[in-house]
Amino acid sequence: MSNNKLTTDHHDDAPHITSYVEHFGTWISLILLTFMTVFISVFGADLNTLTVATALFIASVKALVVAYYFMHLKYDPKLYKIMMLVVMALFMVFLIMLTIDYLTR
Amino acid sequence: MTDSSVSQPNFFEVKKGLFSWIFSLDHKRIGLLYLYSVGSFFLVGAALGVLMRLELFNPGADLIEAKTYNQVFTLHGVIMIFLFIIPSIPAVFGNFFLPIMLGTDDVAFPRLNLLSWWLYVLGALFALSTLVFGDGPADTGWTFYAPYSVKTGTNVSMSVLAAFILGFSSILTGLNFIVTIHRLRAPGMGFNQMPLFAWALYATSWIQLLATPIIGITLLMIVAERMLGIGLFDPSIGGDPILYQHLFWIYSHPAVYIMALPAMGIVSEIIPTFAQRTIFGYKAIAYSSLAIAFVGYFVWGHHMFTSGMSGPAAYIFSILTFFVAIPTSIKVFNWLATMYKGSINVQVPLLYAVAFIFNFLIGGLTGLVVGALAADVHLHDTYFVVGHFHYVMFGGTGFAFFGALHYWYPKIWGKMYNKLIANIAFAILFIGFNTLYFPMLILGIKGMPRRYYDYLPEFHTLNQISTVGSWILIIGLLLMIFNLFKGYFSKQKAPANPWNGITLEWQTQSPPTLYNFDKAPELVEGGPYNYPNAMKG
Repeated sequence: MSNNKLTTDHHDDAPHITSYVEHFGTWISLILLTFMTVFISVFGADLNTLTVATALFIASVKALVVAYYFMHLKYDPKLYKIMMLVVMALFMVFLIMLTIDYLTR
Repeated sequence: MTDSSVSQPNFFEVKKGLFSWIFSLDHKRIGLLYLYSVGSFFLVGAALGVLMRLELFNPGADLIEAKTYNQVFTLHGVIMIFLFIIPSIPAVFGNFFLPIMLGTDDVAFPRLNLLSWWLYVLGALFALSTLVFGDGPADTGWTFYAPYSVKTGTNVSMSVLAAFILGFSSILTGLNFIVTIHRLRAPGMGFNQMPLFAWALYATSWIQLLATPIIGITLLMIVAERMLGIGLFDPSIGGDPILYQHLFWIYSHPAVYIMALPAMGIVSEIIPTFAQRTIFGYKAIAYSSLAIAFVGYFVWGHHMFTSGMSGPAAYIFSILTFFVAIPTSIKVFNWLATMYKGSINVQVPLLYAVAFIFNFLIGGLTGLVVGALAADVHLHDTYFVVGHFHYVMFGGTGFAFFGALHYWYPKIWGKMYNKLIANIAFAILFIGFNTLYFPMLILGIKGMPRRYYDYLPEFHTLNQISTVGSWILIIGLLLMIFNLFKGYFSKQKAPANPWNGITLEWQTQSPPTLYNFDKAPELVEGGPYNYPNAMKG
């Protein structure tokens, strides 16, 4: 139901083909990060309270890798990257404010 | 001003039959599907509200017993919040008018839009199914607080699954609007040339998109806790009930702005039209929508001052809460400044908009009272909170919804309601509303707790006044609905632009054609509310 005469479509993304090497490399990095999470969870008892923080950090890195390569954020305009960062910052604020409650209760 | 008697078939006429509606991809038809759905659920929710008021007319169990009362107020809350207020303005008027006001032919993803409505229907069926399955509807209140929601034998799982599904509907609508606003604006329409209703929907959509997933996963946690006993929220198995409250309110406080911001957008449309002048502080109103959406994310803890949250966290949340008042006040001052010395045409939509300001001010200021840490300790979980919430939601969003209905009625259906009856219905509604809810503020200050079917004799008179108010309000409501139906069946057609509006929806015929415009709409030079230029032109 599109009527282009009446609309402004700013779609200017250039087509791109991602190489197998990049796909495979991303997948390997995700597997390695998963192993790292399990390793810290099972064997990283020395980290104590930092265990959760480390697991969250690794999960965030994995999410970024997925967004950047698999979801093609790498090829998207800068605005989308900024939006992504704003969302992550918002999530960080949630966690910080929750932590303030838990640490001072 | 063009007459509506144009040759193009309108969107009602292009196709007929039930399937042409329930599988329609036309944003206008989907908007009307939402209108009929949310309107029906509003009446169900209102009936449950009246039932509660009848029970509270006298102390003691007159009509319903304690458990039934708990189930009734829960169902009332779930229906009114998730099935009426959240989807009301964005899904009805946003769907119908956003593409038209942007000068385009539809939303960015029409199929997603239809899916959104179907998800709404599915969620509604889940909510209503609690009436017939298991031990009846949930009795937890619409907040589903743990650990009670984990332990109660009533049908909590179905209720939270309903809210979960409805959340997806809300997310999809938000996503659709964000993409539509970014990519489908008419040529030459920058962000600062958009109508303020579009700005309000834009801010709302970001909240829908970012906050709703949190409630989704939280409600699934409740189901998991009930079925698997994981120990997330139930302290008897190692959980933390305050964690549930944090997660619930991280969504549900921003959700208050999902409900309020579109209403503010409506008021920003109605006031310049009936003052026939440029809106005062366009950018301030537009950006304050974003500011409200942004600050609204960081104030959720003010619902938990008495829940056992830490002192320092409570101080921080209380201070942050007061910041929300700033952008809200900016809007109110700008609306008043727009009307000041304007050539005001007093019509029913304007009355609803002004009533919105009056009610919302009471709701907002009482919100500051409960946002203040010391006062909230006294007022938390009393009828003061019930009064405050209804002043914001019903007195604010509800009245804006009715205002929008009267404002865009001639555009949607190409007919006009009886203005005298509409004025009388408005007056009855306004009096009924304030008679119903103002006593609740006093009852709360006197210490009457919320969510009880019974009360002490000292609260009797104010409860009776409140119940009488509910009868007046229902009379006004029924009269308003009767008048709108009567207008629909009248043979007299409304002109295409009965209010002399200059935003783009008034450039097309009433009702609009399938693709909204026959030719590209002309943007008003100098902004969407530049009335002096438009009049000269």
